[in-house]
Amino acid sequence: MKIKNIFAAVLSAGLLATSLTGCANGGKAITVVSREDGSGTRSAFVELMGVLDADKKDATVSTAEINQSTNGVMMSVSSNPDAIGYISLGSLNDTVKAVKVDGVEATADNVKSGKYAVARPFEICYKEDKLDDLSKDFIAFIMSKDGQQIIADNHYIAVEATQSYTPSGKKGTISLNGSTSVGPVMEKLAAKYQELNSGVTVQIQQTGSGAGITAVTSDACNIGMSSRALKQAELDKGLTELKIADDGIAVIVNKDSKIDNLTSEQIKKIYLGEIKNWSEIK
Amino acid sequence: MQKAKEKIMHALFLICACVSILAVVVICVYLFGTGIPAMADVGFFKFLFGTEWRPAVDSWGIFPMIIGSILVTGIAILIGVPIGVLCAVFMSFYCPKKLYKFVKPAINLLAGIPSIVYGFFGVMVLVPFIRNVFGGSGKSLLTAGILLGIMILPTIIKTTEASLNAVPTSYYEGSLALGATHERSVFFAALPAAKSGILAAIILGIGRAIGETMAVVMVAGNQAILPESITSGVRTLTSNVILEMGYADEHKQSILVATAVVLFVFILIINLCFSVLKRRKD
Repeated sequence: MKIKNIFAAVLSAGLLATSLTGCANGGKAITVVSREDGSGTRSAFVELMGVLDADKKDATVSTAEINQSTNGVMMSVSSNPDAIGYISLGSLNDTVKAVKVDGVEATADNVKSGKYAVARPFEICYKEDKLDDLSKDFIAFIMSKDGQQIIADNHYIAVEATQSYTPSGKKGTISLNGSTSVGPVMEKLAAKYQELNSGVTVQIQQTGSGAGITAVTSDACNIGMSSRALKQAELDKGLTELKIADDGIAVIVNKDSKIDNLTSEQIKKIYLGEIKNWSEIK
Repeated sequence: MQKAKEKIMHALFLICACVSILAVVVICVYLFGTGIPAMADVGFFKFLFGTEWRPAVDSWGIFPMIIGSILVTGIAILIGVPIGVLCAVFMSFYCPKKLYKFVKPAINLLAGIPSIVYGFFGVMVLVPFIRNVFGGSGKSLLTAGILLGIMILPTIIKTTEASLNAVPTSYYEGSLALGATHERSVFFAALPAAKSGILAAIILGIGRAIGETMAVVMVAGNQAILPESITSGVRTLTSNVILEMGYADEHKQSILVATAVVLFVFILIINLCFSVLKRRKD
């Protein structure tokens, strides 16, 4: 008798589930895919797109699916025909499709020329007067043709470089602190630099842009890394900023999606939750 | 000489026992020491029953995550318990010896699969399946529940089987002698006698399901909202901690620890139920 009851309960629960969800079908609702709160990519994206409330705070719609990494976002979008997401341009591959934003394709060239607006700078910052010769030499390496080649090889947008780098043979330690987005490419730059100058150790701590800027302000490290432009208040504390690269943010959809172009207004409304269905996009 | 040796080993065992107890104590002190002040900072009521989680505007309500954890675990139990218990009945009373040699290791293997692998299975197989059958994005309450239902199977099967095997054969034989069929003897004599063991299995299953993190993060969608239907996304307590820990500053970290405190209290309650049940049995 009891067993029968259990079966009945399970069966009716199943039926209930089906009937509850039946009404959610129909129409092609947009699956909004975002990063977790605190992610550098997310904060850059919401600021660039204006996904903000009246107080200029992140207002990403609460029904947005949250993924923990760039790969997570790509996996989500590549497997869901109705999804939209955003990732670092450097990570884009052919499992997903990058849409044009306001008619401009998301390519390194368009970011470089300024046509593709969804981009953020990778910066380093330091105190001009307190910079030692070794750190100056490392910065010279980053800004040289050789350094910028490494940046371009890692799918970021290099800045103009005219000079080649000649190893100085200096010895010592350089410490860097800051953005987790800049960190990976900085590790590659440091590895090459240490290969060229065998007596140098480069220490990189990835703590986030804000923490890095604070560290360099209080002389806790030689160079700070930031994935956003420095605020005026930060510059006023005696810091100099230097752009070492640009990183575009690609807005991505499923490969089977018919959407090729979105206006920045549409993207903003999708992420604010004002546009909920693909049929609302003409 | 012999005595000295014994004394030394005695001390060694004592130290080993102390290490594990110390670990529990340290974890408790750390969790409550960091978590409770953070909770008080936000306000206990606001923290536990607030429905908005928006770190950007200093809004820290974990009620959606509490409900999320409970719902996901509930679905897992709804799916895992009937299958698990019936599987244990099969293994204990119906399974031919030859097949048993195959089924038993298979279930042990199921228990040994890392949760990240379950997560991939969920993303690749379950998510598209749920999307096609029930609609929505596929990353949902239901998906997480089904996946966890599968993950708790080994726990439930093993505990149930052990308790079924512990039922004296005289129950089953007596029932047969009174003229009951094999089925009746199994379901109405042996199974009820193993009731407390089955309850213990369910409690252990709940503990396993509520604490699971990696697999759930990958298939639940992670929206910090109260789910409206069984196909809407959900965030559990565990996923809340892991999602936002990476970029958290000190204040946010302590709030995430407070989230873990809530989870820890849940686990304590579950363990308490388990030991009460065990004591009653003894």
